[in-house]
Amino acid sequence: MISLSSYLIISTILFFIGIAVMITRKNIVAMLLGIELILNASALNFVAYSKYVTNNIDGHIFSLFIIVVAAAEAAVGLAIVIRFFQIKETIHIDEASQLKN
Amino acid sequence: MEYTIQSIAPIFLAPVIAFIINAFFGRKLKSMSNWIAVAAIAFSFVYTLRIFTDFMGVFATDYYIHKTFTWFDLGPTFKLDLGVYLDNMAVIMLLMVTGVATLIHLFSTWYMKGDSREGRFFVFLPLFTSAMIGLVLSDNLLLLFVFWEIMGFCSYSLIGIYYEKEAAGNASLKAFMTTRIGDVIFLLGILALWHIVGSVTYVDIYGAIANGKFEGLTILGFSAAGFAAFTIFCGNIGKSAQFPIHVWLPDAMMGPTPGSALIHAATMVAAGVYLSLRIFPLLEMSGLLPFVAIIGGITAVGAATIALVQDDLKSVLAYSTISQLGYMVLGIGVGSYNAAFMHIITHAIFKACLFMCAGSIIHSIHEQFFNKLGGYKKKLPFTYIASLCCCLAIAGIPFFTGFVSKDRILGDALYNGFMSGNFGLVSIAALFGFIGAFLTPFYMFRWLFLIFHGTPKDQSLYDHCHKEHFSVGQNLPLLILSVFTLGLMFSGSPTGQGWLGHWFGGKTEWFKVLVDAPYSKNINKFTTYERQPLSFEDTREITTLEHAHYHHQSGYYGPNNENEHGIHSAHVWGAIMSIFIAFGGVFLAFLMYFRNSLNPSVFTNRFPRYYKVLQNKYSFDEFYIGVLVQKVLLGLNNVLAFFDMGVYDRIAIDGWAKVNKVIYKASNWFDSVIVDSVAVDGTATSVNVFNLILRIVQTGKIQMYFIVMLVTLVGYVMSLGL
Repeated sequence: MISLSSYLIISTILFFIGIAVMITRKNIVAMLLGIELILNASALNFVAYSKYVTNNIDGHIFSLFIIVVAAAEAAVGLAIVIRFFQIKETIHIDEASQLKN
Repeated sequence: MEYTIQSIAPIFLAPVIAFIINAFFGRKLKSMSNWIAVAAIAFSFVYTLRIFTDFMGVFATDYYIHKTFTWFDLGPTFKLDLGVYLDNMAVIMLLMVTGVATLIHLFSTWYMKGDSREGRFFVFLPLFTSAMIGLVLSDNLLLLFVFWEIMGFCSYSLIGIYYEKEAAGNASLKAFMTTRIGDVIFLLGILALWHIVGSVTYVDIYGAIANGKFEGLTILGFSAAGFAAFTIFCGNIGKSAQFPIHVWLPDAMMGPTPGSALIHAATMVAAGVYLSLRIFPLLEMSGLLPFVAIIGGITAVGAATIALVQDDLKSVLAYSTISQLGYMVLGIGVGSYNAAFMHIITHAIFKACLFMCAGSIIHSIHEQFFNKLGGYKKKLPFTYIASLCCCLAIAGIPFFTGFVSKDRILGDALYNGFMSGNFGLVSIAALFGFIGAFLTPFYMFRWLFLIFHGTPKDQSLYDHCHKEHFSVGQNLPLLILSVFTLGLMFSGSPTGQGWLGHWFGGKTEWFKVLVDAPYSKNINKFTTYERQPLSFEDTREITTLEHAHYHHQSGYYGPNNENEHGIHSAHVWGAIMSIFIAFGGVFLAFLMYFRNSLNPSVFTNRFPRYYKVLQNKYSFDEFYIGVLVQKVLLGLNNVLAFFDMGVYDRIAIDGWAKVNKVIYKASNWFDSVIVDSVAVDGTATSVNVFNLILRIVQTGKIQMYFIVMLVTLVGYVMSLGL
């Protein structure tokens, strides 16, 4: 029997991997992927709590919302990245400095 | 006839409307505006005639209309009622003003035709007339003063109508400023009356006198009644050109002649005397009448002597006007209320006519100096007839109006000056009156003979003058007014003594019966006078006089049965004397200027100094300018200038500048150091410093922010956990 703590450990690992990717990688696409990992970690948490604690489908529905939001966020993020690449011909995050000064 | 606002207001409003139309649309209407003015005044005249016929129908001395409305009401202590007060005197005055003004307007349409200032002239003429009508209608001194000032302004505008001429501009200023002296003092008198009586309505003033409100009161150390009477009489002195500020009237002849006829003969100058008649009880009570008499006497004889030597035909008429106004004031001074008022009316008629004759002459000949005139009787027959009638009237020849009115003044002067037993100022005034009565016919007939008789002194001028053909504008007004120079219009007897008074139903003596003087013996009746709102219809029962017989009402010195006879005999003697005096004057003029058997140069050569004095008009102008203005006022001016420039400028202005300079420096320091350096720059510096600190964390590197967020989150969770 897989316990709740196993899910939480997995989701924690996923969350920190996502954080690590967001902090360390300079590639914007990679950073978006890190955000996806964080969202998935939280979605996993929702499902796990839904199964072991509340015993209803609220968490499932919430995780579905998270997936939809993640898809939308990925679409918007990738669109920004494409425009950014068209302007700067790179996707390095430190190049996004137009607001500086 | 019921008196409501509809039957009284149009008299005043018609000329005002004509004024507004002419002022705003005169340029478009062109010569139509003249006829609008004439029609408006004629309309007023017709309305006045309605009221006059009503008053004549009632024929009662105490008949009056008093309509008031509240102008403003500031509680029980300050409430100002304005209104209309029509008694017999006001109605007769109103009829004279509107009638004479109608004829003068008609004459002006001819006189001003094609003149460059025609439009402007017909703006001020109706305004002037409306002001005079308003003055007569008003029931209190304040409203009277308002119209009085409007007339002053109109007179200023009409005198200076040819403003491009320097003399005209100066004359208008002189007239305005000189009359202003009297007006300011007059206003003081109104305030004094307001203070004492609490109202400036005539009836209230009379009532206050009857109730003894003035007794024991003093203002500035003078008796209250004396102060009020004197100050208001100063208004009369200014407006009616009495000695010593008569100097403006002769100069006022710079205006067009019909304007002179209206202003300086018929209406405005008469307004001053009218005012004195209105405050007669005050003058009587304060004992100021001998003073009034002597002012009138000096004016009458002084102006008459100046008129003897003038060589300008308008100038003679101007001084004659001053002289006749002196007679009116003399009449008031000797308590001859009715006769003084009658002289206002008769003088207005014959003097307006004389001025229009002068206008007719000047406009036909384009010359107004005697040394170019002479022999124009054949060229200007209608003007000659009118001039002759008026000269006979002003000279005091029996059967003409001047005799009726002036003779009664002289009769009262004779009685009060010599026959009543108290000699004094009044005696001198009476003597002056008789001397003036000799001079008046002389200078008027000199005027007539030098213009119309003899041989032309300038033949080419004479040949250029066209023979006068009858025209409505030029001759009709003169001839109509000439009819009213007949004494029978005013009195049933040729002498004005009321000898034939009981013929023709007694109404022939209408003037003397109707104009009842508010002497102290009958002033009590005014306490019972009641007033009504403007829109109210009259319901009073009026008792018509059954016996309209004439008593000698003369004598403020208390006519009782004993001296009734004395007054009567004084009037008989006065009449006889003035007939002799008048014919004497005419005869002397006849000898000197008609027969030429007595050369005037006999006198001028024998008394060159006196002649010079008269020609210089007693040097009043030189005295006022040379002494009063240049010495007294200039010295005062210098003192004031020193105060202004030396004291006020130095200390107040410059001192204040220094104070300001110190304040300026202090505030400059405060501004530059405290405000700029500390407040403004300090704020900027502090912001800069904080900025330096804050921008350390604002790296713009998004992953750095994530780290911070992560650390914060972890720290938060840890702190919760621990």
